[in-house]
Amino acid sequence: MAVSFSRRIRSLAPVLVLLALCLVIASTNSNFLSVSNLIRLLSAAAIPLVLVMGATFVILMGSIDLSVEGVVALAAVAASMLVANDFTSLDLGFVALPAAMLLGGLLGLANGLLHVRLAIPSFMTTLGIGFACVGVATAILGGFTVRISDRTFRELTLGRLFDVPYSVWVAGLCVLVAWIIQERTRIGRWVYAIGTDEHTARQVGVPVERTRILVFALAGVFYGLGGAMSASQLGQGHALLSQGRLFTTITAVVVGGTALSGGVGSVLNSVVGVLVVIVLANGMVLMGIEPFVQQGVQGLLIILAVSLALDRSRLAVVK
Amino acid sequence: METFREYLPPVVLVLLVLAVGAIEPGFLAVDNLLTVTADTMTLFLMASGATFVIMMGGIDLSIQGVASMTSCIVAALLPELGFAAVPVALFAGAASGLLCGIVSTRLRIPSFIASLAISGIVTTVAYWASDTRSVLIAAGDRDSFLAWAVGDTGPLQNEILVGLVALLLLGLLLNGTPFGRYVRAIGSQERAVVASGIPVERVKILAFTLSGLMAGLAGVVMAGRLGSGSPTLANEFLLPAIACIIVGGTAITGGVGSIFRTFIGALTIAVVRIGMTFVGVSVFAQQIVFGLILVLAVAITMDRSKVTTVK
Repeated sequence: MAVSFSRRIRSLAPVLVLLALCLVIASTNSNFLSVSNLIRLLSAAAIPLVLVMGATFVILMGSIDLSVEGVVALAAVAASMLVANDFTSLDLGFVALPAAMLLGGLLGLANGLLHVRLAIPSFMTTLGIGFACVGVATAILGGFTVRISDRTFRELTLGRLFDVPYSVWVAGLCVLVAWIIQERTRIGRWVYAIGTDEHTARQVGVPVERTRILVFALAGVFYGLGGAMSASQLGQGHALLSQGRLFTTITAVVVGGTALSGGVGSVLNSVVGVLVVIVLANGMVLMGIEPFVQQGVQGLLIILAVSLALDRSRLAVVK
Repeated sequence: METFREYLPPVVLVLLVLAVGAIEPGFLAVDNLLTVTADTMTLFLMASGATFVIMMGGIDLSIQGVASMTSCIVAALLPELGFAAVPVALFAGAASGLLCGIVSTRLRIPSFIASLAISGIVTTVAYWASDTRSVLIAAGDRDSFLAWAVGDTGPLQNEILVGLVALLLLGLLLNGTPFGRYVRAIGSQERAVVASGIPVERVKILAFTLSGLMAGLAGVVMAGRLGSGSPTLANEFLLPAIACIIVGGTAITGGVGSIFRTFIGALTIAVVRIGMTFVGVSVFAQQIVFGLILVLAVAITMDRSKVTTVK
C-alpha cells in the first residue's frame, strides 16, 4: 500500500512541479498568466515538443540519443536550401517539409543500424552521427547563413489559427501521433518491453533489433520535422541554429519523469517535462535573469530529476 | 591478440605518417613534424584526463565545456591577477570534475548524463566569467604569463613540453600508483573491486577530478594559443578528444588502456586530418570520416564479453 502511494506521488510529481512553478511565477509577475504570454509559452514549447516526442521513445528503451542537435541542424539547413532562398536557386515550397523529415529519418536509421548491427552503445553512435551532421552542415554552408524568402514556408510556424501559431498545432499533432504509437501499436508495447527487460522481451519473441532500429529512425523523423520548423521559425538555415536543443530535450524527458534506465514514462510525461522547462525559462526571463543562466539551471534540473526518478534497485553498478 | 592490440595503434600511426610523407615529402621535415605535434597537444591534454574516466568504463562529456570555461576564466583574470589566473582556472576545471564525480557516484547517476548536466553548468559559468563575449588576452600578458604554454624552448615548442610532462606524470599515476591500479580494476570488474573493500567512489571522484583538471589545462593552453577565451572556444573538441582515446586502443568498456595510447591516438587523428587535406578530401567528407572512425574504433576495441545488452 505504501509503495503504491509513493509511486503514485512519484508519477504525479512532474505535474505538481509544473503547477507549483506556475503559481510561484504568477504570484510574482502578473504578466505571466496574460493570454499573450501563454501563447508565447506555447509557441516556445512547439519545437521542443516535436523533438521530445522522438527522444522519449529512445529513452524508454533505456538508450539515449545525443544526435538531436546535429540532425536538427542538418535538416534545417537542407529545408532552407530547398525552399526559395538566397543560397540555391531551388524553390520547392512545402516539399522541404517531407524532405527534412526523410533526411532526419535516414540519419536516425544510420544511428539505429550502427548501434544495433555493430553493438555499440547508443550514446557513442549518436554522438558520432550528431557530430558528423553539425560538421557537414557547417561544411556545406562554409559559415554562411541561408536566408529564406519563401513566405508560405515561414507561415508554417508564424501563421496563426485561433490566435495560436501553426507550429503549436503541428506540435499538438505530433504529440497525438506519438501517443497513438505508444498506446495503440505493437512498436509502442515493444518499446516498454525492451526498456523493462530486454532478455525477457527477446525470449517472448519481441524483435528487439528491428524495434531498436525503427525507434531511432522514428526519432530522426521527429528531429527532421523539428529542423524544418526551426528553419521556418527563424527564416534562416545555419549549422548552429540548434545549439542548446539537446540539452532542453534531455532535460524535458527526464524532468517529465521518464527514467533513463528505460521502461518507465510516457510521451505525456515528456509534454509535462517540456512545459516545466519552458515555463521555468519564461519565468526567469520575466524576472530579468540573464538567459545564459538557463543552461546551468537545466543542468541542475537534470541532476535533480534523474536522482529522484532513478530506480536504484536496478542499478548494481553505475557507469 | 592482446599484443596485436597493444602495438596496432603505434604501427598504424607510423604507416600513416609515411603514407602522408609519400604524398607530400615536405610533411616529413622535422620542423613540420614538430609543428604538427605541438598543434595536437591541446587535444591530447583534453583527452589525457578523460582517459582515466573511460578506463573505468565511464565517460566524461563535459570536457569541452570545462575547457571553454577555463579559457574564459584565465582570459578574464590575467589582467588583474597575473600568473595567479592560471591556478584559479585550473582549480575551476578540477572543481567541475570533482562535482561531476560526486554527482555521478554519490547520486548514482550514469556518468554520461551527469557530465552532460555538468557541461550545462560550466557553460553558464563560462558565459558569466566572459560576460557573454570572447575575451581578448593582451600580447604582453600572454608573453609574461602564458609563455610556459605557448613559447619556445630551444627548438621545441612549449606545447610539446607541457604535453610530454602530462604524459609522464599521468602515465606514472596510472601505472605506478595504487590509484592507477584501482582505476584499471574498476574498469575490468567493478563488482569484485567493490567487494574487495577498495574505496571505489573515492577513486572514481578522483578520476573525474583529473579529467576536469586536464580539460581545464587544455582550455588555458588553447586560450594562450588563440590569444582569447570564449564560452564556445572548445566546441567541436569533444568528439575528437574521445576519438583519440578510442583510436589509441582504450576500450569504452573499461579496463584496457593507457595515457601513451591516448597520445598516439591524438597524433593519429591529427595525421589523418592532415593527410585527408593533402589528398584533397573536402572538409565536408572529413567530418563524416571522423564520425565513422570513432564508431568503428569503438566497435573494434569494445570487449563484447563484458556487455550482455547494449543500450
